[in-house]
Amino acid sequence: MSTALVVFVLVLLLPLFLASWRVSLVGLAGQGALMAWLAYDRDGVTTVADGVRLVDLGLVRTLIVPVALYRVMAARNTGPRNDVIAPNLVSWTLALTAVLVGFRFAAHMPLPDSERPFVAAAASALLLAMLVLASSERVFSQVVGVFRFENALALFELSRPEPEAEPAFRVGLLVVLVVTLALARWYLRTLTPAGDAPAPEAS
Amino acid sequence: MNPALWLLAPLAFLVVIGPGRRHNALALVAAATVEVIVATVIAIGDVDTGADDLLTTDATARLFLLVIDWAFVGVVVYAWNRARVDAARPEASARRAYLGIAFLVAMNVVVIANHVLLAWLALEVTSLTAAPQITQASLPGSRGAAWRYLVFSIVGLGLASLGFWCLGHGGADGAHASMRFDVLAHTPAPADDPWRDLGFALLVLGLGTKLGLAPMYSWLPETYDEAPAAITAMLAAVQFNGTLVLLVRVLQIPGARAGVAGDALLVLGLASMAVSAGSILATRNVKRLVAYASINHAGVIAIGLGLGGEAAYGVLLYAVSNAFIKAILFLSIGHIEQHYQTKQMRDVGGLIKDLPYTGLFLMVGTFALLGFPPFGSFLGELLILSALAASGQMLVFAGFCAVIATTFIATGRSVFPMIWGESRIKATWHRQRLLPHLPKLVLLIALVMMGLYLPTSVNTLFREVAASMGSR
Repeated sequence: MSTALVVFVLVLLLPLFLASWRVSLVGLAGQGALMAWLAYDRDGVTTVADGVRLVDLGLVRTLIVPVALYRVMAARNTGPRNDVIAPNLVSWTLALTAVLVGFRFAAHMPLPDSERPFVAAAASALLLAMLVLASSERVFSQVVGVFRFENALALFELSRPEPEAEPAFRVGLLVVLVVTLALARWYLRTLTPAGDAPAPEAS
Repeated sequence: MNPALWLLAPLAFLVVIGPGRRHNALALVAAATVEVIVATVIAIGDVDTGADDLLTTDATARLFLLVIDWAFVGVVVYAWNRARVDAARPEASARRAYLGIAFLVAMNVVVIANHVLLAWLALEVTSLTAAPQITQASLPGSRGAAWRYLVFSIVGLGLASLGFWCLGHGGADGAHASMRFDVLAHTPAPADDPWRDLGFALLVLGLGTKLGLAPMYSWLPETYDEAPAAITAMLAAVQFNGTLVLLVRVLQIPGARAGVAGDALLVLGLASMAVSAGSILATRNVKRLVAYASINHAGVIAIGLGLGGEAAYGVLLYAVSNAFIKAILFLSIGHIEQHYQTKQMRDVGGLIKDLPYTGLFLMVGTFALLGFPPFGSFLGELLILSALAASGQMLVFAGFCAVIATTFIATGRSVFPMIWGESRIKATWHRQRLLPHLPKLVLLIALVMMGLYLPTSVNTLFREVAASMGSR
């Protein structure tokens, strides 16, 4: 397993144990940056599709998503603490088990050796994203869960080079990601942290 | 030029929409009318240009183009009528019209897409354009419902995309499988490929989430309840069937039902029916009741899809019938909500006297919902049940019958007093005009025809699609 993938798994896990929304956003940025590096290191930028993918991973996921969410949270004067999973031994054990299951899954599936570490990390990322989504009703945690989920899917796609990747599809995926971010940001701004709309102000 | 590209024509109406313009809702009606004309010409005119890398006009596409576009016309005519009566309604806004046209075109692209990624992207666009339409400024709860709809859509479609990734993985030899549905449908199933099994299972789970199948159904009752009636009808009648097309295309791939996916469809279907029956018994909200009935229908359809073979024709009849039933019922409930300002069934009574057309459509729609003859839903359910009995799955058969009976009693007990009971709210209503109800009448005629007589061209479409799903 390459160093970048080892760091990726650490970046997946650490924000779950540190109850801070800023760390969660740094975690998302870290995942994006590491995926951008993995893509560039393996394929370089030889086609338009590669370029679009690098923009997706290196710009949108690494910078735009965390910064856009940070600005909403900062504007709301949110306190530093935010648990994306419940802060107890059961949740932490489940998180570690998810990583183990991801690695066992990759070990058992028929795969070329070069892909196995990618699939292990991606499967772990997917299970952790599901854990985050299932653990908290708070809107911020769910937004983080959604983007962790999107990153896990991107890592699965990264595990195998796609010789016929159409640039138009890559652009389409990028646009969908940006619109998802815009909507997530809007809901994060307009819903209470618990997921309800704010009560109408008394006149 | 591929004639299917004419389905993009409604995009031209984007230029006539704008903030503050009076005819935004009418522009959406015009766009939907153009779309339904193109769809009908393609479907009934038997325009099959074959499949290219991106698009197809095969029988599946042609049949469901008819369904989603006719249902959509019904929805937008209802919305236009609301906007016409009250220009301050959200239905009159430019935002709704922009999103409506984007939704319509994307939904048509889902149906005619021959490329996995194109279909997936278009379905994602329908979710992204539907979510803001669920939100109603006057209903704070609708914002939370829209957010949860979005989260479930992202997760469901994400799992489906992972399923496609697994299908395309092609095992350990490093080969990529084709991403064209027509090629996949004619590629022999390899023996014992765990990636394919996993792919089909993830696709059933992911697309099942979008269809509202248990266990990932919790978004559906809340979303259908909180959204405006037109948007609820759009999700239930149009988006549901777009998602179903994708699932049908997956099940057209050889070996799809052989692994875990076939059994998963049976189990998820029966679980969905059971969950919905319990919820129908408990609810007192008419919109939620029809939402739970939608979960029930998704369950019946999943069971039929899991069986395949002889159940295929029945599933198609049932799915198409239910698109029209749900459109009729949700739009009728919209009228009820508009007049009585409530969705509580105990507060509404004597509909047939107060709002005769609405009462009539609610009555006939409920009969169709419960699977009475002569509607297509009756015949569809009968064919699925007979295929279930023939397959020897007697436990599922018994569970199916028990749940259907419970749903039948619970729905009738709640809805019929609304129609024939005593009026609870004493007021003088304006006499109802038939014009706003005409689209529902057209859908109702189609519903009856599906149970009694189908024109040869439409029946041929049904048979071709059923054959592609394994029917003889």
